[in-house]
Amino acid sequence: MIKNRKLLALLAIVVLLVAACAEDPTPTVEPVEEPTEEPVEEPTEEPAEEPPEEEMAGPINIGGIHPLTGGLAADGIQMDNAIQMAIDELNAAGGALGGVEFAYLGADSTGAAEVGQTEAERLIGEGAVALICCFQSAVTSNVAAIAERDGVPLVIDVAVADAILDQGHTYTFRLQPNATSMGVNGAQFLAELAENSGEEISSVVYLYEGTTGFGDSVRAAFVEEAANLGIEVLEEIGYAPFEVTDLTTEMTRINSLEPDALVVTGYYNDGLLAARNAEEVGLDVKVVYGIAQGTYDQPQFVADAGDLAECFYDSNYHWDASDPAAQEVRDSFQELYGEEMRTSAVLAYQAMYVIADAIERAGSADPAAIRDALAETNYADHILPYSGSITFDDTGETEVASPVVMQVQDGQIVQVWPTDLAESEPLFPCVSWGE
Amino acid sequence: MKISRNRRWILAGIAAVVLIVLIALNGDQFDQWMDQNGVVLRQAFVTGILIGGVFGLVAMGLTLIFGVLDIINFAHGALLTIGMYITFVLFDRFGIDPYLAVLITVPLLFLLGGIIQRTIIYPARNAPAHNQLLLTLGLALFIENLMLVVFTATPRSIRLSYGRGLTEIGPLAIDFPIRIAGTTITLTKLAAFIFAVFLTAVLYLLLQRTTLGKAIRATAQNKEGARLVGISTDRISLITFGLGVACVGAAAALVLPFLSVDPLVGNAFNITAFVIVVLGGMGSIPGALLGGLIIGLTQELGVVFAPSSTKLLGVFFVFILVLLLRPQGLLGKKE
Repeated sequence: MIKNRKLLALLAIVVLLVAACAEDPTPTVEPVEEPTEEPVEEPTEEPAEEPPEEEMAGPINIGGIHPLTGGLAADGIQMDNAIQMAIDELNAAGGALGGVEFAYLGADSTGAAEVGQTEAERLIGEGAVALICCFQSAVTSNVAAIAERDGVPLVIDVAVADAILDQGHTYTFRLQPNATSMGVNGAQFLAELAENSGEEISSVVYLYEGTTGFGDSVRAAFVEEAANLGIEVLEEIGYAPFEVTDLTTEMTRINSLEPDALVVTGYYNDGLLAARNAEEVGLDVKVVYGIAQGTYDQPQFVADAGDLAECFYDSNYHWDASDPAAQEVRDSFQELYGEEMRTSAVLAYQAMYVIADAIERAGSADPAAIRDALAETNYADHILPYSGSITFDDTGETEVASPVVMQVQDGQIVQVWPTDLAESEPLFPCVSWGE
Repeated sequence: MKISRNRRWILAGIAAVVLIVLIALNGDQFDQWMDQNGVVLRQAFVTGILIGGVFGLVAMGLTLIFGVLDIINFAHGALLTIGMYITFVLFDRFGIDPYLAVLITVPLLFLLGGIIQRTIIYPARNAPAHNQLLLTLGLALFIENLMLVVFTATPRSIRLSYGRGLTEIGPLAIDFPIRIAGTTITLTKLAAFIFAVFLTAVLYLLLQRTTLGKAIRATAQNKEGARLVGISTDRISLITFGLGVACVGAAAALVLPFLSVDPLVGNAFNITAFVIVVLGGMGSIPGALLGGLIIGLTQELGVVFAPSSTKLLGVFFVFILVLLLRPQGLLGKKE
């Protein structure tokens, strides 16, 4: 039957397409296009040089781009809400530049790089003078290229890939530790934790999500640093985070390699699956140690996995749990939106404050002036677990950015390393299914 | 059966590669390799078969719908997501065990399938195939986003109070997870497999032995002819679509104990289900089960032989191979 043939061909094409689309495109570095002949609608409202007392035509527009739909929407929606919350707080406290209010322009990247890029163009066209984005590295690299081209500053709340700031962008700044910092600090912290308990970690297996670029970049940094620390990486096992339905075979394989520790990098669902399957197989390791793992530092992990969650480590970006101000922010978020505030949302919230601080110092809402002020940022009043004020280096990275190690202890996520941020002693070695 | 010259060359090529690999792995090396990887290989087989049974059940619904309605249902995965959320709510709100919930999700999704067929598929029955395909794709997007609004993107999962340690099943008391020769078999996956195979058998018998089954098969073979002998093909189409969707209703309840649900979880099954349907032969029920087992095994064996790649590599390799060598599928009808 000819019809069958046609259908089959059609089906084959669509299956491959869907498969390709199901995963994030790898970060495509957009060549910076030549500027369109007419300058993109300049934010018309403010004559930049006017003294701040002068009544301004409109609010200061801040754009935010996050995945509000799709597989990462749980984080994206929280981040969007967190920026709105920060703006409401700032406006309630009198806005900026002597009484001008902030307005939030939120956009949905849908998790796709090209959509994020168009949305960035749209927001800038609608008058956004600064952007906060994106939660995904692939989306962020495209948005950063637009920000650079149109001369609008971008503060990255969450996006891990080093490459984003390797392009020599001058308008892009990042709050969270990058992949290198995650991997390198992750490896160092693991060695320190072992030493602290008089144990040794001489070999690990690395299990990572291998399709969105995030897992792979953290893994690469870890592997390099592990070699310096004398930790042997026995094997690196990749999986597709949005398609994986079982990791039992992987866990059995890891068991047969007899590593001292299992290191995991990935998203929430696959991290939970890995934890469950590790327990089922009775994984024989000293610790399971997440790096930039989206599961093991989430209260939801404890709710979903119960006792099994005990002992799991995660070296990740976080809010400063030892700072009461951070708790206040998280409490008001919970009150407003009925959900426990995730770390990603805390960073989005923080990004808004860093921008507000820059606008105040710039004395103007002109994007170029904001960029210059951002470059001079020295922001001490933050709620992140960084040892000192937020300052940006020449490439735009936060100089003091560093992950912190958390562990599930008695159903609570507690910071355990480094010692100056620790809320509790690390338990090491420790797995919940140990005898 | 005539094999074209091209295909013969491809087959010969594959045989040669296999031979070379076998020769390269002489006895000693093979033993050594088995020492290291034997347990992983065994686990891959066990997991592959268990998960393959569930894949087969999902694919069966898809293949049934295709066989009778000539429609490639892209909303299949999304419907699985609905089934999983229904099971989740039943467990979370009413404390209904997911295995018991099968009795609720199956009729519910049968009903939902019927409604979808009547309101969306039926009016477009005379449209070209690709229009119908896009229709189901649109339906899938709609369902995904509806689930996003209703349940948010936060992943949900359930935890059974049993299934760890000594568990009594009727007269038997089995210590879960079962460990045989280094492999691990959990209650949740074993139960999913057994139920899935059982339901496959029921569906197969229904198609082979009952009048309704005969009518469905008649409609699949020749719509005109079926109509001529007095079968209401419209009604059969409705029932078949309902049955196909009911299959994912069952699968949904069976996988929830070991897989968390979010609005996009169906995608994970969608892709494999399509590959399985093509592999097993479009429209063939036993083909779906066979294809499910093969894809399950392929996926897991990938972990043994190519751990740094994702599991889908092997699956797509098989997919392409089937399209090249046997486009009608393993158990498909010849054209």
